[in-house]
Amino acid sequence: MSDASAPRSTGASGSLMVLDARTKKRHAAERRFRYYGMGAVGLGVLLLVMLLVSILSNGLGAFRQTVFELEITLTQAQITEAEEALLKTSVYRGIIEENMREALDAAGVGDEVETARAMELLGGDAGSTLRQWAVSQRVTPVPQPDEGVTRTFDFLADGRIDGYFKGRVTMETAELDSRVSPEELQLADTLREAGVLRIELNPGFLTMPDASENQPEAAGLGVAIVGSLYMMLIVLCLALPIGVCASIYLEEFAPKNWFTDLIEVNISNLAAVPSIVYGILGLAIFINFMGLPLSAPIVGGLVLTLMTLPTIIISTRAALKSVPPSIRSAALGVGASNMQTVFHHVLPLAAPGILTGTIIGLAQALGETAPLLLIGMVAFVQDYPDAPPEGLFDPASALPVQVYNWTQRADPAFFERASGAIIVLLVFLAIMNVTAVLLRRRFERRW
Amino acid sequence: MKDSRLEDRDTTMNDTKISARGVQVHYADNHAIKDVDVEIQDKTVTAFIGPSGCGKTTFLRCINRMNDTIDICRVNGTIEIDGEDIYDKRIDPVQLRRKVGMVFQKPNPFPKSIYDNVAYGPKIHGLARNKAELDEIVENALRRGAIWDEVKDRLDAPGTGLSGGQQQRICIARAVATEPEILLMDEPCSALDPIASGQVEELIDELRANYSVVIVTHSMQQAARVSQKTAFFHLGNLVEYGDTDEIFTNPRDKRTESYITGRIG
Repeated sequence: MSDASAPRSTGASGSLMVLDARTKKRHAAERRFRYYGMGAVGLGVLLLVMLLVSILSNGLGAFRQTVFELEITLTQAQITEAEEALLKTSVYRGIIEENMREALDAAGVGDEVETARAMELLGGDAGSTLRQWAVSQRVTPVPQPDEGVTRTFDFLADGRIDGYFKGRVTMETAELDSRVSPEELQLADTLREAGVLRIELNPGFLTMPDASENQPEAAGLGVAIVGSLYMMLIVLCLALPIGVCASIYLEEFAPKNWFTDLIEVNISNLAAVPSIVYGILGLAIFINFMGLPLSAPIVGGLVLTLMTLPTIIISTRAALKSVPPSIRSAALGVGASNMQTVFHHVLPLAAPGILTGTIIGLAQALGETAPLLLIGMVAFVQDYPDAPPEGLFDPASALPVQVYNWTQRADPAFFERASGAIIVLLVFLAIMNVTAVLLRRRFERRW
Repeated sequence: MKDSRLEDRDTTMNDTKISARGVQVHYADNHAIKDVDVEIQDKTVTAFIGPSGCGKTTFLRCINRMNDTIDICRVNGTIEIDGEDIYDKRIDPVQLRRKVGMVFQKPNPFPKSIYDNVAYGPKIHGLARNKAELDEIVENALRRGAIWDEVKDRLDAPGTGLSGGQQQRICIARAVATEPEILLMDEPCSALDPIASGQVEELIDELRANYSVVIVTHSMQQAARVSQKTAFFHLGNLVEYGDTDEIFTNPRDKRTESYITGRIG
């Protein structure tokens, strides 16, 4: 009888078709672990979605604004007269009132709406907006005949009216509000139906400077964006070369002794120092000791450079360390000097890591608020800084500080502005991170 | 061991190229090389054999001062090349390494084009005055590396995209492109298949005409095939040094015999 005809035995360890208890337990543990992971990811995504939904729902309104669309005709005589008056913007407001009457008539509501009442719905900055344009159109001497110039303006409506159309202000809250009455809201409804008032995209949110407490409709991010850009420029120009040079020296050239160990430990510690400490340092050194101006992007940039340096140094050193030693040996083996080895071979291979680290450091600096508060960047700044390099010493604001500033104001319209500013900040951060990823891909593709 | 090359090997030439006396190497507390004396001849292939960790590679790396890059490594004794002590204060390791080329265990081409890999050394040493001269140097080096025919149509292709054997021959071409006088090879065939190894071995035999070649190898067949002189290292000592056929057919030391017959190692 051959073995083949013998009944098949399942062997000493039992059949493979049956799961034993131990294997079952191991599989269960694995499954549990997978669920934990899925739960963690799910929670993270949920929170992110909540954050985005809340910010977008609150902040998108800031990018649209209620405006009066008015066609204004100015003669040179009117401009001269207004510029010679003591209260120039109120004269311009008078000119707007004349044009408002024509617009109301043209819209067919001239009989039922008093022009003066309609003017109350106009935002406070309309006069100065018109004046800005008028001054740029002024011709001296006055030409004959004086034909005048015409342009269509979108004058911002008062913040309360804007809030009414966005649902922030209701008839009930208007009853209790000293700055708006239910009648005005009804008037606004009439004007909107007539097409005089409309909700338009608001480029001014990105280009206009901050405005006072009473004019939320005119508050923009212009100065804050310029200030943040200036600071990023300074951080990039200072932190990248200093950080990369420091890491190359420490990693490739410095002797390994207790002193370089000490420096290494301290750099790692500096990366963990709370940012407000850098603010105090900046206040003490750059402003009190060196006498640099308050609120200036140069000081902000220097403080943020100090804060970003450890991040850049740590990531650059990690990138340099990850270059395979065989490349170094190869270069040294054909007789390259240390510096040639580093600059011809090691640095190009480490470049993607260095760039990623730098951009992450920059993004961190862009969102940093605390140190800027200490060096006075929280001030109310209405004038744009000049072009660099002089402009670096002019007062400016910064995006995160502007958010902080606006959330502190009483008018709920500023809460919408703050959320809008957060959206702008997040867009900038997203752009920087995408750039980091793209640069990384671009450089790594070189085989 | 009936290789025809064993018979007609020319051992009359004995100009000393490298002369080491009393070389000691320490890695921190580890005494890696103990008092090695050796005279390596010009236009000869010298093989270093021995079990792993016996100090062959360490000694090889002393000859072009690659050990300088290791902080904890200390070298004592003298190593002279053409009568000059290479550990003298006046010697610049960068200049030394041009004279003493090196091929590493693992093929390590730069992540650049084949052309740039070979042209890098001549470029940094200023061996070519213009592009035409550089082209010529690169072509000659690739021909001497026995790889020209395989890569002449794709010199712009990345060096890292080649097969292991081709990469190693690119590395050899790169090493000879700077016109060294001595070529150090640290187990150049350990990452290669037998066919590629054969090509590299043939190459080494051709290189002997112009260079003094020192090769570290784990393969005794390879040592027997390519070398005229063999040095056997064991536990940091140079146990035996002599003509290759002497070492393999009639070793004087017990340890050499045991290693060659496969009892230690």
